[in-house]
Amino acid sequence: MARIKKKGQAGAAKNFVTRNQAIRKLQLSLPDFRKLCIWKGIYPREPRSKKKVSKSSTASTTFYYTKDIQYLLHEPLVQKFRDHKVLEKKISRALGRGDVSDAARLEGNASRPDKTGKPTYTLDHVVRERYPTFVDALRDLDDCLSMLFLFANLPSTSMVPAKMIARCERLCLEFQHYLIVSKSLTKSFLSIKGIYYQANIQGEEVLWLVPYKFNQRIVGDVDFRIMGTFVEFYMTLLGFVNFRLYTSIGLKYPPKFDAVKDEDAAELGAFTLEGKTLVGSEEQSKLEDVAHKPDPKVQAAVNKVLKNMTNGAANDDASMANTEEADEDAAGVIDKFEPAAPGGDILPQPSYTGTNPNNLFSNFTIYLSRETPRQPLEFILKSFGCKRVGWDAVLGGGAFTTDELDPSITHQIVDRPPIQASMNEEGDGEDNQTAQKLAANRRVPGRIYIQPQWVWDSVNDGELKEPHVYAPGASLPPHLSPFVRKVQGAYDPTMSLEEQETEREALEAGDDDEEVDADETVEGMDVAEDDEDEDEEEDEADEDEAEEEEEEDEDEDADEALQRQIELEAEMSGKTVNSKAANPKTKAKEDAKKALAKKAREEAEDLDRAKGMLSKKKRKLFEQMQYTNNKKSAEDAKLRSKRRKLEKEKANGKA
Amino acid sequence: MPVLRSATAGSGEAPKQFNQPSRKGKKAWRKNVDVTEVEEGLQEVNNEIIRGGVIREKASEDLFTIDTTGDSKIPQKFPKHVKKGLKADEIINKRSAVPAVSMRKRPSDKTTDGVVPAKRQRTDWVSHKDLARLKKVADGHHENTVAVRDATFDLWDAPAQVTQDPTDFLPEKIEAKVPKSMKLKPLSLLANGKQAPAVPKPTGGYSYNPSFPEYESRLAEESTKALEAEQKRLEAEAAEAAKLEAAAKSAAEADAAEERANMSEWEEDSEWEGFQSGVEDERPSAKQPKRKTQAQRNRIKRRKEEEQLAQHKANMKARRAQEQRIKEIAAEVAEKEKEKALELAKAAEQDSDADSEIGEEKLRRRQLGKYKLPEKDLELVLPDELQESLRLLKPEGNLLKDRYRSLLLRGKVESRRHIPFKKQAKTKVTEKWTHKDFVL
Repeated sequence: MARIKKKGQAGAAKNFVTRNQAIRKLQLSLPDFRKLCIWKGIYPREPRSKKKVSKSSTASTTFYYTKDIQYLLHEPLVQKFRDHKVLEKKISRALGRGDVSDAARLEGNASRPDKTGKPTYTLDHVVRERYPTFVDALRDLDDCLSMLFLFANLPSTSMVPAKMIARCERLCLEFQHYLIVSKSLTKSFLSIKGIYYQANIQGEEVLWLVPYKFNQRIVGDVDFRIMGTFVEFYMTLLGFVNFRLYTSIGLKYPPKFDAVKDEDAAELGAFTLEGKTLVGSEEQSKLEDVAHKPDPKVQAAVNKVLKNMTNGAANDDASMANTEEADEDAAGVIDKFEPAAPGGDILPQPSYTGTNPNNLFSNFTIYLSRETPRQPLEFILKSFGCKRVGWDAVLGGGAFTTDELDPSITHQIVDRPPIQASMNEEGDGEDNQTAQKLAANRRVPGRIYIQPQWVWDSVNDGELKEPHVYAPGASLPPHLSPFVRKVQGAYDPTMSLEEQETEREALEAGDDDEEVDADETVEGMDVAEDDEDEDEEEDEADEDEAEEEEEEDEDEDADEALQRQIELEAEMSGKTVNSKAANPKTKAKEDAKKALAKKAREEAEDLDRAKGMLSKKKRKLFEQMQYTNNKKSAEDAKLRSKRRKLEKEKANGKA
Repeated sequence: MPVLRSATAGSGEAPKQFNQPSRKGKKAWRKNVDVTEVEEGLQEVNNEIIRGGVIREKASEDLFTIDTTGDSKIPQKFPKHVKKGLKADEIINKRSAVPAVSMRKRPSDKTTDGVVPAKRQRTDWVSHKDLARLKKVADGHHENTVAVRDATFDLWDAPAQVTQDPTDFLPEKIEAKVPKSMKLKPLSLLANGKQAPAVPKPTGGYSYNPSFPEYESRLAEESTKALEAEQKRLEAEAAEAAKLEAAAKSAAEADAAEERANMSEWEEDSEWEGFQSGVEDERPSAKQPKRKTQAQRNRIKRRKEEEQLAQHKANMKARRAQEQRIKEIAAEVAEKEKEKALELAKAAEQDSDADSEIGEEKLRRRQLGKYKLPEKDLELVLPDELQESLRLLKPEGNLLKDRYRSLLLRGKVESRRHIPFKKQAKTKVTEKWTHKDFVL
């Protein structure tokens, strides 16, 4: 007979422990235990049968793996927690005795480790343990960033100390600086909850959500002790991630932080990035002057042009040669704005290279009106190459310019109801010298006014959107989510029709077009008769398409026979064959149509064959899926056809 | 009238044991030892000092003089010339030998550091605020003790373990092995068991300026959900009302029954008049069932057979009828299966779509901890509030709640409920027994 097994000696009873058992084993208090579990990544588990685990009469609700808890015993943090528990006991004893000063002394000694020589603890080793490689840490950065950005925007309360908020803010700004310098921000989305950002950091996609400013309410049903514990861990994590990221691009970490500028709400502007001293000072200087100086290449070209202007016509030949060179230089760029007169203003030069979407705004000077959200705009514009972002002084410090009338501004972002263009030019002339601010509803000529959505849509599409669509007062196009997975064949309003329509739809659309064209031409002028005949034939073909599909093969054979007959006749009479070639376009179309139908038929046959192999249940499921897919694609096709109609109408209106 | 004297207002002496002559043995060393002797002695010494010094410490010369000359007869000779002062003067003129403390102001140190010290009676004074904090610390509410410092080294590129010194013969410390269970993913609360993403990807319907079809579909979805919830609520309310009504009815019935019982007290009197009601009916009949006769058995058997035959016939008839409309039935079954498959397909499709996008996630039935996962906020801008301008956007939802819920959803912690007040110990109010302190 096998050995009798005792209940509770093996299996679930041994593999799991209840929370109370764990706490007793570790000799910690419940809050400390919770903290430790969060930091070490020990999660509550669910045994298959709760009854088999605990023998107690009261139902336990939280279980852990015994081995996890056993492993926690080796954690150095446990000792720290126990030390603190001892301290708590000492203090409470002193208070009980009425020795308040004694209690204060004990507490003071513990909380000032620099004086007593007792170190506080850090979570460095825990971070290392939980994320063995840097990539692991990057993969888990979504939650970390969302949490820290959220806490950076919270008002300080007794539960969320101001120190923690400041720390979160600083870490977030440092991270943003990295994204700006490395140009790794890829997408952003304005949702009703907050602003989503997506960045590609060393090949890892990181998505996080940042709340809008001044919007967070503190609600009662959130456990701040738990949230705070997570934030403490994440702060340590992001610190190390930042260090790694900064050093990977040759920057010194932490960047220089200017407290005075920070007081002035400069935010991103309060940091000065420095190159590592080991790498060399060259990089450092480059990084520092990136913020203000224009592109050196462009500047050189402008200087050359200036020189030519001053030399005048004295040496024509030389200047000819020079300009040719300049032209060659400019071949890669776009045309230059040359000063109207010698000694005139050096105009900002546009040079749009369509290759890199991360330099989208690199040649613009953008000014933010005071009603626009500065923080996200500044961050996005800077991370997409804009080096000169100015804003109204009320939005805080650190702006490239706070003067709305700065002549170098090329774009202004406004979010106000329509602005009337100012008519009096002499008034503008005065403004340049005297007035600092424009009156309400006045525009500065020579710059583009746009709504904030322009920035987001341009960034998401990787190209500059047409500004007139986003002009102030204009009805904006919908702001689409860039994170929606593109489904094959689904209607996508951002793409052009040609890119997304199916072959069949395209052919049908072409037919429609041609019909319309033919009608028009019939009205307008006389066309060769055989052409018209062909069209008519096509019409007929359209009408009974279904029939045609059935008899396609026969048709084809007949056609081939006919063709051959014609060829033979031509040979006999000694003419060239041109009866069908007269209209190659329609011919090609018909062929394409036939090929398409054939392909569809073949696919259907294949599918039928494959279906035969499936079990009955699976076949039913498959048929249902096909049914829903067809329904969906029909919907998409409807949407596309609607759009086609609209576009055609628009085109007609224009013509 | 009796003079009332508080029992606690004692003589002003230190409390002492009643009588404890012996100090021998451990037990004798108790508190409130009788110290009257010592105190008396001290008092005596004090008095001596006032009178001009401790007598024991004085030299004999100071205490005694040798009277060499003296005339003891003078008072007798001139009794009227000797002045006898007043007793009051005598008392007042008693002077202490200890000089009084001078009241003159003494000059302080002339050199200072320029900082005016805060006037405080006690240097080891602890403010109320500090005291409150200390009490909190003693209760376990300490502030965060994690020292968050700027990172100064690359954690993932840290130098490898230092190679051991060959002269060091101590055995290497064996690190504890990380159990496999530590690497298991937390328990996801989703019904499909997949890991929920930390930040689900937003769909177009969440845009501040959504496209019409996306917004419309979301609005419809949310409104049907709200409608369903409302319907459920109303149903629950109705059920509750019905339950209450039933309870009230049964209570009324019980009342009525009681009343009737009360009434029947009068009816009981009718026994006196010679008739009883319902007494015989309630008594079970004591008669045993008789054995069945063979005829009875046969009859029963016949009846059973007949019944069986009828049943069989009915079954056959139904079957024939079904056979006749077999095609219809097949169609019905096919229809049913189709519906089922459709639902399955829909579910499968939704699963594949919804694994990383925001949406209503299906939760598993059994969750972690005692409490349910909190409900999601309705993140929807109503059509009349929908604005095209970013400036006029009213953000929806609460990110704090959203993050917290996400943590719970991913199974990182068990859900808890905020308990605003600690359960207080129950106190019982009694009267003080001070009347026992009444002393006559």
